[in-house]
Amino acid sequence: MTTQVLVRLRTPLLLCAIAGVVAVAGLAGGPTVERVAVLALISIVFVTGLSTFSANSGIMSFGHVAFMALGAYTAAFLTIPVPLKGTLFSQLPEPMSFLRELQSSFVVAVVVGGLVAAVLGLITAPGIARLSGLQSGIATLAVLMVTYNVLSSWTSVTRGSSSMIGIPQATTLWSGLGFAVAAIIVAWAYQSSRSGLQLRASREDYWASVASGVSVGRHRATAWVLSAFLCGAAGALYASFITSFNVSVFFLSTTFSFIVMVVLGGYLSLSGAVLGAVGVSLLQEVLRRFQDGQFTGGSALPAGVADLMLAALLLVVLIKFPLGLMGSGELGQRGRQQQTDEVEPQPEGASA
Amino acid sequence: MTANFDSPSVLSMHDAGVHFDGVKAVDGVSLSVSRGEVLGLIGPNGSGKTTTLNLLSGMLRPTVGAVMLDDSDLSRLSMRKRVHAGVVRTYQSGRVFERLTVFENVEVAALGAGLRRGAARAAARSTLTQLGLDDVADLPADSLTAGRIRTTAIARALAAQPRFLLLDEPAAGQNETEAVQLIESIRGFAREHGIGVLLVEHDMPVVMGTCDRLHVLDSGRTVIEGEPQRVRKDPQVIEIYFGKRA
Repeated sequence: MTTQVLVRLRTPLLLCAIAGVVAVAGLAGGPTVERVAVLALISIVFVTGLSTFSANSGIMSFGHVAFMALGAYTAAFLTIPVPLKGTLFSQLPEPMSFLRELQSSFVVAVVVGGLVAAVLGLITAPGIARLSGLQSGIATLAVLMVTYNVLSSWTSVTRGSSSMIGIPQATTLWSGLGFAVAAIIVAWAYQSSRSGLQLRASREDYWASVASGVSVGRHRATAWVLSAFLCGAAGALYASFITSFNVSVFFLSTTFSFIVMVVLGGYLSLSGAVLGAVGVSLLQEVLRRFQDGQFTGGSALPAGVADLMLAALLLVVLIKFPLGLMGSGELGQRGRQQQTDEVEPQPEGASA
Repeated sequence: MTANFDSPSVLSMHDAGVHFDGVKAVDGVSLSVSRGEVLGLIGPNGSGKTTTLNLLSGMLRPTVGAVMLDDSDLSRLSMRKRVHAGVVRTYQSGRVFERLTVFENVEVAALGAGLRRGAARAAARSTLTQLGLDDVADLPADSLTAGRIRTTAIARALAAQPRFLLLDEPAAGQNETEAVQLIESIRGFAREHGIGVLLVEHDMPVVMGTCDRLHVLDSGRTVIEGEPQRVRKDPQVIEIYFGKRA
């Protein structure tokens, strides 16, 4: 039993080690490499959040960037210095004017960012719990649409299409690593929990799980809210890294980029999500340099080439490995190839 | 009388039926299963066996009549709530959780029945031992042979702590000897744990020696119910059932 637990622990340990390697690589490289590394660590926090819902429920969400947006705006409200807030939010409606006076530390902002996102998760959970398949995917997209429209139209509070500026830079390689490790541990703990196991059963066969007494809706809602929290925290980390952002970043192109990470790595696997986040972050940087002409003797390629190549790669992987590179397996656990040779001709049926 | 879910002794259906757009898939069927006995539900294809099982398990709600557990009416309860009341079903094709291990398959059902983690694991271990699945406990369910996938499905149903077990052709695709062996072991298990079993089966020879009573359906209606020897000699059964094979 003890050895079994140790074997199970190999997955989170390996994933944390990968995050550690990303941080060390960021440390060793120049400022550009460091920037890529921090963004990769923030992406790890986001995709572990997304994967907490999608890998266990088997339902792909296109709406989690909405949670990230809420986390980012929350961090902005909590950490922009009070004097600057006075000018930025001069038209804040009276009942919300207390927001101008709020001030918190970076860590508190990240946690509260996650909590605010989790509230949106709670509000939307009843709908998500009831839907399956295509309907569910569309509903998650609707969550993103509604959030995006509120954020870009509620000008007096969110500054609408004007950028949010003046957020103190607080996310570093080390704090990014710390939150990535915490997110990996939370996601792994949920996956191993009784709720996570029952949700994975419903992913495999909805009606068989109902016939086993599983309350599918309740577990879907639990995973949804927890994943909202993690993605909200990722948003706060993001805001505290880039210091200024525009609402347009929290929409379809960012959603696509995270989907690519999770799908390439394997959307039914936590390891797949983490590997996908690291791999795609690296790849995006390489492709950007390629597009800028760094590998072609200085002549820049047309804008969009990098995205085009990423999309092409996604297509190839979807065709060759429909479940991504990891399938539904996890790092450090026995591979499926070794497991699939149980074909010895034994007497079948139950032997009492 | 008050409902007592702790020790229900009879699962029954009273003049129950279900109509799909005017088509009567099951029409006025009454039957009952007591704990510890095996009732075989047989009939030709399309006679309403699986629909009857769906009515009892909660996959379908009866449009007329009632499903009762002792004196409590289950007719409007969802399948999940019926599982918690002790009425557990299996599916014809097994429908195991393919990418979960055999152990996890069984553990999920024990958790679904409301056991805590430690108790669920203990229940899963003992069920796997009883059904001889120990050696494959840590393998993904879809890597097993067809026969052991079916056994896993039965282990999963047993781990849900049933008082009544509804089995939809558990031995389909196996030869007669294997089928009889499997159903005999289910019967032993049922007697030992006081579980009432409803066994849907279309293969007459398989149920003859293994069931305490048989209930024969044809076109959604009851033809006859009784002991296997008596049912086999019934002229109506011979005509609609054996007659088709001759």
